[in-house]
Amino acid sequence: MDILSRPAILCRNLTRRFGDFTAVDDMTFEVAAGAICAFLGPNGAGKSTTLKMLTGLLPPSSGEVEVCGLDAKSQPVELKRRIGVLPEDFGLFDDLTVGEHLSLIGDVYGLGKTLTRARTDQLLRVLNLEHGRDTFAGSCSHGMRKKTSLAMALLPNPEVLFLDEPFEAIDPVTSKIMRDLLQAIAGRGITVFFTSHVLSAVEQIATQLIMIRKGRVVWNTPAAEVPVALEQHYFDLVETPVAEDIEWLGSPRS
Amino acid sequence: MARLAAILKALGRALGRDQKSIWSLAGNNFFIVSAIVLQDAGTFIYLIIGLVILLPLSTDPLRKIPASRLRLWPLDRRERWILRAVSPWINPMTWAIAALAIWMAHGKVTVGLWGLAAGLVASGFVLSSLKITRGNGLWRRIPHFPGPLNQLIRKNLRAILCTLDLYCALLLSVSTLAFRIALPALPREAFLVLTLLVTVALSSYAQCLFGLDGKGGLSRYRLLPLPGWQVLAAKDAAFLLVAIPLTLPLAPLTGIGAALMALAIGHRNSVNAPRPQVRWRFSTGAAFLPRGLAQVAAMAVVASWIFYYSALFLIPCAAACAGSIWWYGRSIERMLKDG
Repeated sequence: MDILSRPAILCRNLTRRFGDFTAVDDMTFEVAAGAICAFLGPNGAGKSTTLKMLTGLLPPSSGEVEVCGLDAKSQPVELKRRIGVLPEDFGLFDDLTVGEHLSLIGDVYGLGKTLTRARTDQLLRVLNLEHGRDTFAGSCSHGMRKKTSLAMALLPNPEVLFLDEPFEAIDPVTSKIMRDLLQAIAGRGITVFFTSHVLSAVEQIATQLIMIRKGRVVWNTPAAEVPVALEQHYFDLVETPVAEDIEWLGSPRS
Repeated sequence: MARLAAILKALGRALGRDQKSIWSLAGNNFFIVSAIVLQDAGTFIYLIIGLVILLPLSTDPLRKIPASRLRLWPLDRRERWILRAVSPWINPMTWAIAALAIWMAHGKVTVGLWGLAAGLVASGFVLSSLKITRGNGLWRRIPHFPGPLNQLIRKNLRAILCTLDLYCALLLSVSTLAFRIALPALPREAFLVLTLLVTVALSSYAQCLFGLDGKGGLSRYRLLPLPGWQVLAAKDAAFLLVAIPLTLPLAPLTGIGAALMALAIGHRNSVNAPRPQVRWRFSTGAAFLPRGLAQVAAMAVVASWIFYYSALFLIPCAAACAGSIWWYGRSIERMLKDG
């Protein structure tokens, strides 16, 4: 398979068990290079576990994972050099400032001082984070921490970008900045794989949708092929909301 | 009172489930070594430092409630004070330490000293609950280092600056320097003992090198394309950058040897039994027996060899530390890979 036709992410019969509990059950899917793939499912469905296995952070119990043509299990360090990750907890050190985190990435990925500085300046500008450059991560707001972590993921110019819930708990402007940024980088051939519960954001940017329930894929198509509104489709396939009146909260006002 | 009882009951239940934190005794080498070395005078050290170190550190059940949650509960000021004062006593460790302190200090400590001890314990709680912002000052003035580990070493230095172990060692070092200036005729052996005390004061930190990184920091280590030995080397570099200057007024080569051994032996606990630490407290490493004792004994042996015989003994110390970095670097990779 040549490099252009090779999928950026390839998962075959991926399974992860924690004792008797199967978090990810025989999952198989592919994501093409340059796609923006939304990975959807209810809490506890196995999204973060799958993301950890795709990024080489968690070994699968069985099955295969290939990202950028690399086996996530046997080549984790090489894989980490080629991908960018926005983890669920952002992965920040309280004792480093926003600018120092980006400098750390520049040093570790061997980008050189000049290139690191130029890319840092631009990323901080684009993400509207210039004012926080000298703020320690321990003192940053949630949004600033998320943007810092995203900037760290982007700085080495990765081939595949993995984002765990990028649109959750951020303000509308930051959300818009992130959406625009992700569309722009996907347009340049970087593959984006993200988990989210914010279906409005998913609808706007995703080109591929994978929905999972109880660790199994229940839907995997291009986003354009979703037959009805995404939210309704999600309810139909993944989880139907419980409708129950809580009387003790008071009677409805007319 | 019903509200407080409910909270204390929940805390007791949480503590009961976390048996490890109660019974796997946290230790600080300096506090134990001081008590042993100073014997009768050690009673005072045991009482003051021991209570200050251990009570707020490893036995504070209130730490199990996130601060943001605690603030949200409808408790008035008086109830919060009562909760603060009573909560440590639902931990059996608190009773054990208090009984030990009373037994050791029986008939030797005046009421005034008891008052001082109580004040220090209270200040330990207050200090550790203060939100200290990393403003300007020393935190920003950490120098840069060559190579890809620059920011990791700087971060690790900042973490050490947030532990009381450093300031205890600094106090010893500065006091000795002042003593040397005032009374130059310090006996030769005193340099060995004082150098050892300074490095022992730092040695518990060498057993919990990842304790202040938090969940986010550990998550970042997993993502960085760095081999485990480099992660550990950045930790060790920061430790030595603190330990070496502190032993300069004493016996520097002896200090380097002891610091290298503290790291070589401390890596095992740092990597295999990581213990979360709290800023502005003394470090809690493994229980003194056997790990702390092994660490201190090895430090004492190599320090004596270097001090009395030859600085060439630094070579096996450096080799032991390098071997430990390599070995436990691989453990780090396994640990990070397994999530």
